[in-house]
Parts: sequence; structure tokens; C-alpha cells
Amino acid sequence: MADTKKKLRNPFRKRPKEKRLNRSVAGNGILFFLMAVCGVFMALPLVMIINNSLKPLDEIFQFPPKIFVRNPTLENFSDLFVLMNNSWVPFSRYILNTIIITGLGMVGHVICASLAAYPLAKHHFPGKGILFSMVVLSMMFSWTVTQIPQYIIISWLGINNTYAALILPAFSFGMGLYLMKQFMEQLPDSLMESARLDGASEWKIFWSIVMPNVKPAWLTLAIFQFQQMWGNTGGLFLRNEELKPLQYALQQITAGGTARAGAAAAVTFIVAAVPIIFFLICQSNVLETMTTSGMKD
Amino acid sequence: MNRKKKKMSLSAKRSRTGFLFILPWLIGFIWFYARSLFMSVQFSLSDLSVSPGGGYTLDFVGLDNFLYAFRAHATYKQVLTTSVGNMLIDVPLITFFSLFMAILLNRKFRGRTLVRAIFFLPVILNSEAIVDAMDLARNMMSGGLSSASAEMAQASSGGMGIAYYMEMFGSLGIPEFLIVYLMGAVTRVSDIINASGVQIIIFIAALQSVPGSMYEVAKIEGATTYETFWKVTFPMVMPHIITNIVYTVVDSFTQSDVVELAYNTAFTESNYGLSSVFSLCSTAITCLILVIVCGAIQKRTFYYN
Repeated sequence: MADTKKKLRNPFRKRPKEKRLNRSVAGNGILFFLMAVCGVFMALPLVMIINNSLKPLDEIFQFPPKIFVRNPTLENFSDLFVLMNNSWVPFSRYILNTIIITGLGMVGHVICASLAAYPLAKHHFPGKGILFSMVVLSMMFSWTVTQIPQYIIISWLGINNTYAALILPAFSFGMGLYLMKQFMEQLPDSLMESARLDGASEWKIFWSIVMPNVKPAWLTLAIFQFQQMWGNTGGLFLRNEELKPLQYALQQITAGGTARAGAAAAVTFIVAAVPIIFFLICQSNVLETMTTSGMKD
Repeated sequence: MNRKKKKMSLSAKRSRTGFLFILPWLIGFIWFYARSLFMSVQFSLSDLSVSPGGGYTLDFVGLDNFLYAFRAHATYKQVLTTSVGNMLIDVPLITFFSLFMAILLNRKFRGRTLVRAIFFLPVILNSEAIVDAMDLARNMMSGGLSSASAEMAQASSGGMGIAYYMEMFGSLGIPEFLIVYLMGAVTRVSDIINASGVQIIIFIAALQSVPGSMYEVAKIEGATTYETFWKVTFPMVMPHIITNIVYTVVDSFTQSDVVELAYNTAFTESNYGLSSVFSLCSTAITCLILVIVCGAIQKRTFYYN
């Protein structure tokens, strides 16, 4: 009797054997092992890139090859800047070009795609179905093949050999619209209705209700688009050397072959590192941003 | 005139605002993409010749290019069927793998951001220039190594080959197509891991848009993790399974051999008409597959509203 009383007095007392429900230690172990194996598969190239960029020349050519660097130096990076300062476009110019193209292309795409996705997901108007199937159709089409019509259109618009040739088409990729629409569709209608009843304009609803609620979606899209734009070499559309992006510089250095192996390793590191850092920043912002959508039903 | 505007119904007004929202995207889309799609159709129906002073002329030839592609071209049909086959193997595997990974990566543990980044790496490292640079590095590192590995591959192909497993499982009464599928899956593990970066991210975002209160309720009602997954998580991410299937299909097709064939036809053989036919036909087939798959899933999809 006294025993039960004691129990009743302190209902929040920790139970003597706190057992975690639903998952065993073995299960956790297996999961950890699986993730570790997959993770190693994926991380290996990056480990190689980092190590290669720190290797002195003799270690790069060493046989049998070692993954990890023995005597790390920053020689490759200084070599790279010397090499690039001797070329007639300074290396910083390539970096600037890439930042302009990537930044504007990404921001523009996220805004345009979200703007367009909102009515497609939440409004009803004639032609909506056709418009959306057109978007999906356009995604199916591989743009490597349509480079020629693309080129014709871009030179017809007169934006050939400018940043706009890469930035403007990026605004209207179908993928982003599709992604945003899928996420916005899941927002409860009543959320928008209540905002409307409170007299919010459509713009206000979009900007302060829809967008904050789909933050994981547009951050994902930003990551995705950043990667797309960052990987762009400018290819057909940019002819002037001083407009070309960083990826093009990397290609040129790599084409130099073994003579520039050190510099190539350094540029590869720079080119790969920035998207990863961007990803890390965005991902940590995605965390726990989702509210319970503000509904009380 | 002014009066008429006032008479516009609420729904009409709303649809007009909606249209205004779409406009910036639509203009870009029509300018850059719809036009080039249209031009591709045009090319596929004609014989394109580049004029010496710049520009080009089109001679209308009707369906000749299509007939040539399917009747006379040496490899097109074969490449197309293998690409479609590969895609059909990859899509379910990638979808389930990435859902699985996303659920794991959505749990709270130390160093989660880092692990997520690792799984996103292949997407970042997939750009052309980085692949080139990596190839160069590999060549330098393994000048003599490649011959050694070739020897090893030759030596190992004798004993435990795929044929051996096929026979063993076949004698156990497992249907052959299943074995072929699984074998295909096993040999593609690294491809599949590499191809599922974006899908994992999409699923993580999807998992985070599931209201936390639902899990709370499930917990209070005493649901196990297993039940919570099938009754809460799975229905809530179902719409994004379609998103991911669409993305995977598009991604695997734009990187398939068909596109490469079309690209080579256009840029090395300068046969733009035939190249357009190739890509149009594969687009049509992809769309068909998507319509079937999504139609089948859509019926079972639960939408929150």
C-alpha cells in the first residue's frame, strides 16, 4: 500500500528500466553500417580531391598511388594563381563571372518558379491543365539535343555572348516549377482562405504565408539550381574570354594534362568546395523550419 | 469599360491575379523552351542544310526521317530499348533507396548535416569539368594500375559469375526475371547511390513538411514506428514519390545513350533532322511511361486537402 502511494506521488519519476520502444540495438547497428558503407562510397571522390590538392607534385605521380597525403603543401594553390595571373584574364575574373551567373540564375529561378507554382497549385483558371502538362513535357526533353534551336533563339534575341544568355533561360526551367507546385499543393486550403478573409492580397498571401510554409522546398530548389548553374561552362553562348565561368577555366587547365596536374587539383578543389559549403548552409536552415502549418484542426 | 471591370466576378479576378503570377515564368518558357521544342519538331520533319553564309535552309521531307530512324538506322532501336530497360530497373530502386535514406537522414543524430552533405556529393561532383579533372587525376595515379585491374577482372570471371548465381537461384524455383532484375540491381549499386542525391533532398524536404502534430497523435495513440511509417509518413510523402519518379525518369533519360546518340548524330554527323527524330521519339516514350506510372500511383495517392 505504501508502495503504491509512493508511486502515485511522483508520476514523472523515471522508470527504473527505461526501454526505448520500437528499435533494437542490433537494428541501429545494421542501419549505421549500411549508411557508413553508402557514405564511404560517396565521400571517397571528395577525399581524393582534397588530398590531391594538398599533395606536392611528386606525390601526385607516385606509384603505387596513395589516397592520403604525406607532406601537405599549399604549393598547388600558389602555382594556380601564378599560372592564372600569367594568362591574360586574371583568375579572380573567372570567379566573379561564376558568382554573377550562379547567383542571379538561382535567385531568379527560385522566384519565377515559386510565383508560377502558387496559382498552379492553389488557383483554378482555364488552361491550367494544359499549361502544367506542357511544363512536364518540357522536362522530358533533353536540352543537350536542342542546343541548336536554343542557340538560334538566343542569337535572335541578341543576348548572345552576355551573361543574360545563361541567366535568362535559367529562370524558366520546368523542374523548379514542378517541384514547387508539388509542395504547395500540400498546404491546407483553409490557411489561404483564412488569410483571404482577413483581407490579405494575393501577393501578401504568397509572400508571407505560402513561401515561409514551403521553405524546405525552395531551399532545396536553391541548392539544386545553384549546382546546375555552378556546373555551367558557358559552352556555346559565351565567346569572350573575360565572360567565361570558373568551370571553363578548370576545363582548360585539365586539358593542359600532366604538366598542370597540381594546378588542376587545386582548381578542382575550389570548384567542388563551394557548392558543398552552399549546401551545408542551406541544409542547416532547412532544419526544423516547418511549423505545423498554423492550423488548429 | 470601367463598369465592365467592376462586374468581373470574384473567381475571374482571382484567376487574373493567378495568371499575373505565372506570367514572368511563362514568358521565359515560351521564349526559350517552347520555341526550341517547336523548332525541333520542325527539324525532324525536314532536311536541314547549313547555308555557307550563315543561317540554314529547311526542305520539307515529311516523315522520311522517322521512317529512316526505325527502319534503316543501325543502332537506334537497340539503344532505345536498352535505355528504356535500364530506366525501368533504376527508377523503383532509386525511389525506394532515396526514401529509405531520407528517413534515416531526417532522424536526429550528431553530425547529421555532414552526413547529408556526403549523400549530396555525387550531384555536385557530377559536373563535366570535375569529372574530367578526376579522370586526369586517376590516370596519373594509376598509370600501371589499370592493366593490373584488367588482369584481375579476367582471372575472377571464371568461377562465381552471374551465370552461376542464375543457375543456383533458378533451381530454387525463383522466377528468372526476378533474378535478372536483382542481378541488375546488385551490379548497379554504386550507380544507384550516385543517382539518388537530389531525390534524397526532395524526400527530406517532404518529410519535413509533415506536420509534427500527426506524429504526436500517433505516439499518444500508441503506434509503433512501423505503424507510424505506413499510416502517417508514407501517405504524407506519397505525392513526392511521384515528384521523385518524374525527376528520376527525366534524369536517367537525359543521361542515357539515346541522348548521346542524338547528340552525336547532330554534332558529328551534322544530321540535325535525324537527331531531332531521335530525341522526339524518346521524349514521347518517356512521356508514355510517366503517364502510365503516375496514373497508377495517383489513384492511390492521398492528398492532404
